[in-house]
Amino acid sequence: MSLAAKIKEVLICLRAGRVTLPYPFEPATVPKAFRGRPIFDVERCVGCAGCANNCPAREILVEDVCQEVRILKYLGRRCTYCGRCADLCPENAITMSNEFETATDEISDVGQTLELFMGTCQRCGRCFTSPTPLEELKLKGYRIDDLMNERWVFRSKPFLNEEKTVDDIDIELD
Amino acid sequence: MFILHLLNRLQERFGDGISRVDMTSDERLYLYVKPAVLRNVCVFLFDTMSARYAVGIGADDTPYSGKYQVAHNFAFDGKNLFCSVITYVDGTAPEVDSISDRIPAANWSEREFYDLVGVRAAGHPFPKRLILPDGWPDGEHPLRKDVPWNHVPENFHSGREYEFERLPEGCVAVPFGPFHPTLDEPAHFRLYVEGERIAGCEYRGFMAHRGIEKLAESVLTYNEIPMMAERICGICGCVHNVAYAQAVEEAAALSPTKRAEYIRTIMLEVERLHSHLLWVGLACHIAGFDTLFMQSFRIREPVMRIAEKITGNRKTYALCVIGGVRWNLDEDACTGLRRVIDNLEDEWRGVVAAVSKDKNIQRRTRDVGVASPGLVKRMGLLGPVARASGICIDARRDHPYAAYDEVEFDVIVRESCDVWARILVRALEVFESIRIIRQCLSKMPDGPIAAEITDELPSARTGISSVEAPRGEAHHFVITGEDNKPRRWRVRAPTYQNLQGIPYMIKDQTLSDMTLTLGSIDPCFSCTDRVETIDIRSCSHRVYSGRELESLVRRKDK
Repeated sequence: MSLAAKIKEVLICLRAGRVTLPYPFEPATVPKAFRGRPIFDVERCVGCAGCANNCPAREILVEDVCQEVRILKYLGRRCTYCGRCADLCPENAITMSNEFETATDEISDVGQTLELFMGTCQRCGRCFTSPTPLEELKLKGYRIDDLMNERWVFRSKPFLNEEKTVDDIDIELD
Repeated sequence: MFILHLLNRLQERFGDGISRVDMTSDERLYLYVKPAVLRNVCVFLFDTMSARYAVGIGADDTPYSGKYQVAHNFAFDGKNLFCSVITYVDGTAPEVDSISDRIPAANWSEREFYDLVGVRAAGHPFPKRLILPDGWPDGEHPLRKDVPWNHVPENFHSGREYEFERLPEGCVAVPFGPFHPTLDEPAHFRLYVEGERIAGCEYRGFMAHRGIEKLAESVLTYNEIPMMAERICGICGCVHNVAYAQAVEEAAALSPTKRAEYIRTIMLEVERLHSHLLWVGLACHIAGFDTLFMQSFRIREPVMRIAEKITGNRKTYALCVIGGVRWNLDEDACTGLRRVIDNLEDEWRGVVAAVSKDKNIQRRTRDVGVASPGLVKRMGLLGPVARASGICIDARRDHPYAAYDEVEFDVIVRESCDVWARILVRALEVFESIRIIRQCLSKMPDGPIAAEITDELPSARTGISSVEAPRGEAHHFVITGEDNKPRRWRVRAPTYQNLQGIPYMIKDQTLSDMTLTLGSIDPCFSCTDRVETIDIRSCSHRVYSGRELESLVRRKDK
């Protein structure tokens, strides 16, 4: 007979008791290694675009609006929180936070835009001399992603266009 | 040695038909044959040498050789050998001889490489569209290299519908799918029903085709693909992640570090634990036994927590990069994991002792969804389905990868071929996984977790990797390429083979056993292609067609 089996099953349930957590009435904690929404630290970022070049979801865009200013935009829409950007950042400017309750009806809430001032190299006109570890991160020239339409283009060119995108800074063109 | 013996026999028999042979190791044989003998070589391997059919692959090699490439992979499970039979065909309408009439397991693979690459399998017994949507124009094959990844065909016939076969005499068609409340993925079975008895069925699936392979070979790079590979499956994601990394490593002749291999093994087994507990729970839920469903999920929860603690996420571990892994196991994590598996073993032992004697669940699942050993061989069924039919195959033992050759475990086999045997196999495999994790934790060497890769990966090399997923063997095939990305990456998930066995398993069963049988291989289904609404006030009712519903849903104002 399977009566013994039934009794055993009842005991398993009784012994377990109630295990449901009171979440969301009490906050849920996450472990230290948790990969939540990435947070970009503008103080540490050197604008190498290594994160943008290696993001599997193409969620980090870079645009050089002029010689000195590079905009790095994290969209956060399709981001899978894989943490590759944080792995690769040479300056540890990206931390995988413990934020996971990121539901929003305003998508820009989860994104982040960094305006980075780029120091100019006397020799090449860009901020880094070669060879640096940054070369491996595929930094080449000026980067033009489509910020307007939020599309990752991954196109770069050696010179900027003649038209100035930002009025108050004079661009020296070759 | 078997590989040489096999090669000798092939050369005796086919002589000039074999144009080139690559033996990259004792475990891999790449046989380049002329198109004329492809069929005979495959049939010889399958019938005479009793190989298991793994997968068929089509690839567009026109930018490099001007030809299309077709490969059929075979596995010799007792001999730890994979044999890939590769041929090149050219022309505007490339064709190879179909092998599906002799090797039914190749049925989907051959239809797939026609759909995606445009190489026709001449003489295929059922040459219908498999993967592309119904409205996709004929003659456009998305995996060809001249088709961009974001290609949207101009002449997409949105009105075209799939034509099902004629209903057999005296049968009624019962549509199962594309959506069903109990399982998550869309697939459509058109069941031919005679009273309560299922007389046959036609399958139309691939509704969630996402073009992952195309993205991998056109947009992403080697180290970005693992993050996408693990999204192939929501349950056994880490399997695909590891299988991809291993295939690339094999193709590029790299080896991951020892510690990385152990960490991969541990995480694969952690994944198996959670998957088996989830599946046993779901199977019981389908059978109407919700008590065990709840308890399985309760017992499973600590496994998810420890995975989160080690990798940063409950399910998507994002574990592998080429040459290693990304997360190390520190002392704290090891202790935590030991504690979790100790508790799990105790709890699960109690559950198995109770459930294995429970007559109700046995009566519901015995002699349901029978897959005979003959069917397993013919259709290339895998994993717990095969092992529940007395076929002792397990990629962990037969084709050892990662650290599986350094641990001891038993392959659980049952002989009764039915859903009950599949439940038992999975329930008992939990203990083997615990054994493997324990051994790994005590044997794991120190050292770096990823090998340093300084050179570019070589192009045009081929790699095969098999990983035993909780549902069966996941098989990956990679051809490396230029620009830091593969030329072709073919993934064969275990359900690809197991689902092909379903029509045979449900034949002559009652309709009510369909869900259980389908659930027992671990995939998805059901509901009708129209919806009925009833207006309560007027008591009138009307039936919406699929088209009307679609336009209703697409209307912005709702």
